[in-house]
Amino acid sequence: MSAGAAGAPSTVRTLRRLFLMLFLRGRGARGLQQSRLPTSIPVRLGLTLFFYLLFGVFAFGFWSQPILALAVYLHVSTFIFLGLFVASSAGEILFNKDEGDILLHRPVSSRQLLWAKVSVLAQVSVWLAAAFNLAGLYVGWAAPAGDWRFPFVHMVSTVLEALFCCGCVVLTYQLCLRWFGRERLDGLMTAAQVVVSLALVLSGQVMPRLFSTGVLTKIDVHTWWVVLLPPAWFAGLDDTVAGAGGTFSWILTALALGATALVLWIAFGRLARDYTLGLQSLSESVVSPARRGAGRRWTEVLVDSPPLSWLLRDPVERASFSLSVAYLLRDREVKLRVYPGTVSLLAVPLASILTTRTLPGGGGFMIAFGSSILGLVPMTATKLLQYSQQWQAADLFRMAPVAGPAPFCRGATRAVQCVMTVPFVLVFVVIALATRTHPGQWLLLLPGLISLPVYSMIPSSDGEAVPLSRPGDEARSASRGLIMMGATLVAVVIAALAWWCWRVGWFWEFIAIETALAAFLYLGMRRYMLRVTWSSIE
Amino acid sequence: MIALQGLSKRFGSRVAVDSLTFEVPAGQIVGFLGPNGAGKSTTLKMLTGILAPSEGTATICGFDLRTAVLEVKRHVGFVPESGAVFESLTGLEYLEMVAALYGIPARAARARIKQFIAFFDLGFDTLTDKLLGAYSKGMRRKVVITAALLHNPPVVLFDEPLEGLDANAAVGFKTLIQTLAREGKTIVYSSHILDVVERVCDRVVIIDKGRLLVDGAPDALVAAHQSGTLERLFAQLTGGLELEKRAEDFARTFRS
Repeated sequence: MSAGAAGAPSTVRTLRRLFLMLFLRGRGARGLQQSRLPTSIPVRLGLTLFFYLLFGVFAFGFWSQPILALAVYLHVSTFIFLGLFVASSAGEILFNKDEGDILLHRPVSSRQLLWAKVSVLAQVSVWLAAAFNLAGLYVGWAAPAGDWRFPFVHMVSTVLEALFCCGCVVLTYQLCLRWFGRERLDGLMTAAQVVVSLALVLSGQVMPRLFSTGVLTKIDVHTWWVVLLPPAWFAGLDDTVAGAGGTFSWILTALALGATALVLWIAFGRLARDYTLGLQSLSESVVSPARRGAGRRWTEVLVDSPPLSWLLRDPVERASFSLSVAYLLRDREVKLRVYPGTVSLLAVPLASILTTRTLPGGGGFMIAFGSSILGLVPMTATKLLQYSQQWQAADLFRMAPVAGPAPFCRGATRAVQCVMTVPFVLVFVVIALATRTHPGQWLLLLPGLISLPVYSMIPSSDGEAVPLSRPGDEARSASRGLIMMGATLVAVVIAALAWWCWRVGWFWEFIAIETALAAFLYLGMRRYMLRVTWSSIE
Repeated sequence: MIALQGLSKRFGSRVAVDSLTFEVPAGQIVGFLGPNGAGKSTTLKMLTGILAPSEGTATICGFDLRTAVLEVKRHVGFVPESGAVFESLTGLEYLEMVAALYGIPARAARARIKQFIAFFDLGFDTLTDKLLGAYSKGMRRKVVITAALLHNPPVVLFDEPLEGLDANAAVGFKTLIQTLAREGKTIVYSSHILDVVERVCDRVVIIDKGRLLVDGAPDALVAAHQSGTLERLFAQLTGGLELEKRAEDFARTFRS
């Protein structure tokens, strides 16, 4: 047995190196198809930092504002970005189920484990924060109200903020595990990651609009409610040292220092002892509590009731539907891939209908375009549903006495329609109707809605959209981008034709022709799909 | 070398391990057997410090599990049933990381790793070029076994170690554990492959529903229960004989 030999590496350093490597390589490096070292880590990290740096350029909007306003903006943005980043990464780093069997029987204390993980989280957070704040540092130094001390104090306050963020997230996870148990923690982690991904995608769309309207640069930071915002506390530190200062800023500074110390003490001092117990509980087998009610899930009731019971008469199609719905609602990996990947597409139609109010003639083209491009939602979601880390289990489909992939594809398509397309379309139509100033123009939503089934069918038409049948790592595909560009182009053509027909009075003729064409395409693709047989596995 | 004293584990109201007490001296290979859900893996996880006992304790190499868990961990090598590894690391990175956690200097670790990969017939290139996620089940198992033995522990606990190994590797592994025992290491071997246990182990401990059923040399136990083979003895003690009848009834349902 060896221990403590001369020149032996430190345990904490080894663990820090391990967790940093695991973090940077990420989930993508785990797939079975990865047979080479991910040499692109520095490139990926560099790109991420560059992305944060670009977002930071918005700080130039505060060139003529006082230091406190700039500092509040920088800290609020940093807090949101870091909070989202840490919240989405912490679950995976802090409570990895496999880790129990790998590390808990090694001579490592719970404090060493926790510190190594948190220091990696904090280290990466500080890198990201530094990249995001780079432009802000320049503005704080060179702007009319700037001060040479701003870059220095802002760096210190940003590091404090990063520690505060990490502490808050670690504390939240620890308390959730303690109070709610392992199963709910799993759900919480998944929900946090999905929400974070959605928020990141949507904020990317919303931030530029807020800046263009000037909402963000006109906030009065000397109001009482600013004290309730944790990022403002850290901005107070900046203002105390490099700005106008004053009692208000001193109060904020005291809050920043006090809150950070308190959170760190509770998260890493008081609760560190419980950390191993938390990890241990992840490796314990738990007996799930019996579900309340009659014992049937709502999805089962849905499948057995019209109209789904009419649409899903084929038992294979029905089984594929149930499987797809289960994964869309329960599986963390699928949810993290499908929802963020699809919600980004919703931003375009929503932006289209929200900006039509100011356009001449009520922006009828934008309404038609908004609904036409909705077709990308089922198309993308069905395509993304093909990928899963459990793809090998899909061999079961080929082993079953079913001639081809058609019923599996159709089940998946129906699941996407049910779980995603219908709710998305309903939300879209409600928003469109609520925001219209020209009541008659809601009819322009029809051309897009008529094209929806055709878009839904495209991924399945060649029998490729078998759910959960491809390795997750293959989800990143350039060809999908091309298909989406093509689909967008088609949406533009549909919308332009619909708008033109509307103006010249041929709208209903257009609807009739479009309906006939859509039915022809849909039935043609369906017929082709039914004839596809299983391709050989390479 | 290993001594369990009333070791118990409860998950809520369910008792997984119920007051286990036995000792294993140095140099012995003990087959630790039981049907699914008997509490074998839970017991092994308690002995390695992964799970905390609800009651009782155990000492390994004189170190108490409750008061000196880090020392226990330094003296134990463990091959978990899951065979879990960090799949984003290469085999070499993983093994070097494990060596570092036991305080083995990098150069010594590299030399030991080379010895193991030679034994398991793994190419060094395989260890450096591929991520563990790309390894076959058998290759991954070899890495996990290497990781368990790298720090030369006096006590080694194996939970289904042969899973995924090919026939040659399995034969090599059986020879390895017999040699390790002759060198004085204490080995606890949990497996469902009873004929291997019968051939390799000096002693067998069978548990069911967390309780100790029998403890003794395989031959002596088989003779005492007049069961002919260890497999038959196991079935006799854990309700497996009923299963034979149920299997016949079940097969009959296919006739119609």
